[in-house]
Amino acid sequence: MKILTTVKKVVDVELNIHVENGAILDKGLQYVINAWDENAVEAAVQLKESHKADTTLVSLGSGDNTDIIRKCYAMGIDNAIHIDDPALAKADSPTFARVLQKVYEAGDYDLVITGKQAQDTDAGQAGIMLAQFLNIPCVSNVIKIEVTDDSHIQVSRLGDAGTEILDVTLPAVITVSDGINEPRLPAMRGIMMAKKKKINVMDLAGLGTSFEDVGGTAPTSEIVEFMPTEKRKGGQKFEGEPAEVTAKVVDLLVNEAKVL
Amino acid sequence: MDFNRCMKHQLIRKTVREFAENEIRPLAAEMDKGPGFPDDLMEKMKPLHYFGLQVPMHLGGADLDSISYAIVIEEISRVSAALGLCITVHNSVGIYPILRFGTREQQQQFVPPMAAGERIGAFCLTEANAGSDAGGVETVAQETEQGFVLNGTKIFVTNGGICGTILVFAVSDMDPARSSVFIVENHTPGFSVGEIEDLCGMRANPVASLFFEDCRIAADHCLGKPGQGLKIGLTALDTGRIGVAAQALGIAQAAFEESVAYAKARQQFNQPISRFQTIQNYLADMAVQIDASRLLVHRAAALKDKGQPFSAQAAMAKLHCSTTARTVTNLAVQIHGGYGYSKEYDVERYFRDAKVTEIYEGTSEIQRMVIARDLLTRPV
Repeated sequence: MKILTTVKKVVDVELNIHVENGAILDKGLQYVINAWDENAVEAAVQLKESHKADTTLVSLGSGDNTDIIRKCYAMGIDNAIHIDDPALAKADSPTFARVLQKVYEAGDYDLVITGKQAQDTDAGQAGIMLAQFLNIPCVSNVIKIEVTDDSHIQVSRLGDAGTEILDVTLPAVITVSDGINEPRLPAMRGIMMAKKKKINVMDLAGLGTSFEDVGGTAPTSEIVEFMPTEKRKGGQKFEGEPAEVTAKVVDLLVNEAKVL
Repeated sequence: MDFNRCMKHQLIRKTVREFAENEIRPLAAEMDKGPGFPDDLMEKMKPLHYFGLQVPMHLGGADLDSISYAIVIEEISRVSAALGLCITVHNSVGIYPILRFGTREQQQQFVPPMAAGERIGAFCLTEANAGSDAGGVETVAQETEQGFVLNGTKIFVTNGGICGTILVFAVSDMDPARSSVFIVENHTPGFSVGEIEDLCGMRANPVASLFFEDCRIAADHCLGKPGQGLKIGLTALDTGRIGVAAQALGIAQAAFEESVAYAKARQQFNQPISRFQTIQNYLADMAVQIDASRLLVHRAAALKDKGQPFSAQAAMAKLHCSTTARTVTNLAVQIHGGYGYSKEYDVERYFRDAKVTEIYEGTSEIQRMVIARDLLTRPV
């Protein structure tokens, strides 16, 4: 089984992000692997261990992604491709999905595993669009994968009403939730071996396409502006006799907050 | 010379820190109450190769370079110095001499179980009348037709209560001036563990006396050649000092981080105490000493990896890091005031843990001797 898994480098949203004039300031930003993609990598490595799957990682984006790719190598991924093209800095989800389509078509994969969304944009579209473009099955929000045979897997997904169990014919795309596994910490030996592995870095031309070919010049959506999240305002504290305080709070809920 | 810019080293630091914060931090204060490490924690560390850090991969280790090794020990010790002590003693003076002086058969027999964490290493040099004076060893190895018979008592043995494979320094009954090193396993008849020491710091580490009473070991359990004990010991300690230096650095780093956070949060005279110049001076001094310590450790480690002499540099690193650990933890307690003297705050533990780094694996006085000997014998 050949597995393709996708990894996005995202801004660490746990740290303070500063916005000025509608743009995110570079200063102080730190980058990490998208957490859901780390679950995807772990799922791929588990299938490698249990079913001798061959695992390839693809990371899209402009700039140096070596650190996150090395970490995935240290976790156990076999091969890595980095599509490093400055044009991708302005790409929308369909464009990313088209690039992934090109990567998929060049590699003859049985299964694509992606995180269900990226923690920076929360769009959750690329994986699903990839399946649409390839016209292959897609299951989102997956929390369990079991291999049935060479051409079928059974997956569990979190649906609105509970867990849904689906038989899926390969090739297919699945997007995974964080409930699927606990990504491993790389072992020391893995880190040492990771530095020796090559990363196949190429731009869009190297992939045999162009920004125009993958729809990048005619985006379906565009980020116009970033706005900082409004800071939570402090609450009010009331002191006094319970009856008085209760009356005051009810009055405010009815007349000021207008929630009652 | 900014070693930390190396991506591999950054990934090692980040990975170990994540493990230490998630798995060790919640247990560290509890572990300090008594000897021993939780089995669950030790089991989690095994597959991550913490017990075979610099062991070649074909013997089951991770084959780390020495700077990576120092980073691992620093990061574990930043959270639990007692566990950092266990790991560094096991890896450096426990395993390293077997890799360096052992025969292929000895390496294949003893190293894989140690690298897997199934057998914890210990290094037994210190006795009632031998420590800094390694020539004072009184444990005797009597040579017989079948091998050797060991008799003697070793004291203050780090990992003593949990050790599986032990390197024992003993003198020949025929020639008390020549010591040799023997590999003893804990199931050998005649070997026993004494009471766990009740120590000031590093309380999680089961430091104990080890007894050898007519302890019979096979002839092929002698490490290196008979009479090579001093050479093996000094070589092992050169390497061990990088680990202890890194351990002391980790303690200092932890105390420094706690101090910065506390100084920003603690209000006196209607302002955080970090606004006071005295506190700022303390913090600045701590930062400088810690940075200098880290550079010294990494320099010694880099020299070792290049195959160049590093004995004096390892001694400088160990001397400076252990002094830094003591002074920084002392200032950390001072910055915390009364709270720093309470077990409610981790700096109290760091303060107790720091002191012994100036004593074991060569006291600060011995480090100065090593450094001075190098200075005075170096060609001008």
